[in-house]
Amino acid sequence: MSNERKPVFDPVILVALGIGFITMAVVMLALQNQGGQELAINTGSGFSGRLMVSFITGLTTGGLSCLAVQGGLLASSLAHQIEQDYLALSTQPKKRGKKQPPQKRTNTALPILLFLLAKLVVYTLLGVLLGWAGSFLTLSPITRATLMIAIGFFMVGNALRMFNVHPIFRYFNIEPPKFITRYVRRTAKGTDAFTPLFLGALTVFIPCGVTQAMMAAALATGSPTTGAAMMFAFTLGTSPVFFLVAYLTTELGARMEKFFIRFVAVAVLILGLVTLDGGLNLMGSPLSLQNLSRSLLPSENNASASQFVADGRLVLNVENEGYFPQTLRANANTPVQLNLVTDKTYSCARDFVIPALSFYELLPETGTVQVDIPAQPSGTRMFFTCSMGMYTGMILFE
Amino acid sequence: MIKKTFSVPDMHCSNCSMRLESIEDILDGIKEINASYHKQQMTVEFDETKVSEEQIIAAAKKKGYTAVLGEKKT
Repeated sequence: MSNERKPVFDPVILVALGIGFITMAVVMLALQNQGGQELAINTGSGFSGRLMVSFITGLTTGGLSCLAVQGGLLASSLAHQIEQDYLALSTQPKKRGKKQPPQKRTNTALPILLFLLAKLVVYTLLGVLLGWAGSFLTLSPITRATLMIAIGFFMVGNALRMFNVHPIFRYFNIEPPKFITRYVRRTAKGTDAFTPLFLGALTVFIPCGVTQAMMAAALATGSPTTGAAMMFAFTLGTSPVFFLVAYLTTELGARMEKFFIRFVAVAVLILGLVTLDGGLNLMGSPLSLQNLSRSLLPSENNASASQFVADGRLVLNVENEGYFPQTLRANANTPVQLNLVTDKTYSCARDFVIPALSFYELLPETGTVQVDIPAQPSGTRMFFTCSMGMYTGMILFE
Repeated sequence: MIKKTFSVPDMHCSNCSMRLESIEDILDGIKEINASYHKQQMTVEFDETKVSEEQIIAAAKKKGYTAVLGEKKT
């Protein structure tokens, strides 16, 4: 890109906005990480806890994942808009011998803000719809697991595409229909406020893997208000990354964009594998990393966290950080009663799943829930997990 | 009007196809451009009396892409 066509930016406003977004994110993260039960409750319980988790998911995994699917298209659409402005300016007839007056550009921070605002509004509305739809149906753990595995597969495929591993992986990048891209392109030529608003709203048609997972979570709430609030918090969380991308792609040019794509590819690959692993956990598969390592590692490693119960009563402590002990031992060929004990537990560990028994229950914040497990043959490894596939454990029958 | 296909091996996302298709807004004489990231190519339908292949290749280069004339369709 020649110097003539290099977009002139309003760096002060851009940087100020970027700092604003990042400060907001850091403050929220700091609030989450501070000690104290009161704050722990805020991050893990009920409505506010869900919002905080949604926001942080957007800020960390969501923002990066969305980049892989929609970031390039939409941020570059903004760049395209700027580029078109410059093409229009550069093709204006020049008068010979007369010095051209300095060309004024409109504030480029405003379109980016409008773009993010539209995205926020549209996804919030989507949250309302999903929550409303969710009030009519419930996603079973197996459906959620299948969804997670599909999303993880899609993310890994996209990462391999970005690494240019093989041409086949290009098909993991969904090309929007021509009539849509043509319409977007023609609309993007405009410089009015409608253009970035429209582009921002259009992101709803190409949600990324994590967004889709969040949409599934919003669906699972079964409440239009909670669904909307979750999607709002999540989309707000993705905003700083989108802002930076818009800045990088337009200001630093294609070379930086290519470098950034590689960075995103690494992040998406890791996230994809984590999502895939979570899906396998939720399915109760012994092939997930956690279950595989638990099965392969010598039992001495888990000895401190294991317990053998002869009277058929097992106790599992469900804590904010996961399940303790992570490996339980029980007599084979005898029915077992599993007692799930919560004590001010607010994390997603409360969403307890035993895939092999198709058991799923949201445990009370404090209390005990009993699960009757039928007799199992010796050597059976029964995996349990939270509904996100994050926290796991196993009962070993011997 | 003729239709020609150009190979564009340095497309790296579906947005590249949108960028290449925007050439039809810049050059006179182009009826339609269909670019495909999956196939790494673009098919251009144009009036050869108004615009040349070289101009199309130059326009793609300005966008940051290397277009090479591939198969010919009339």
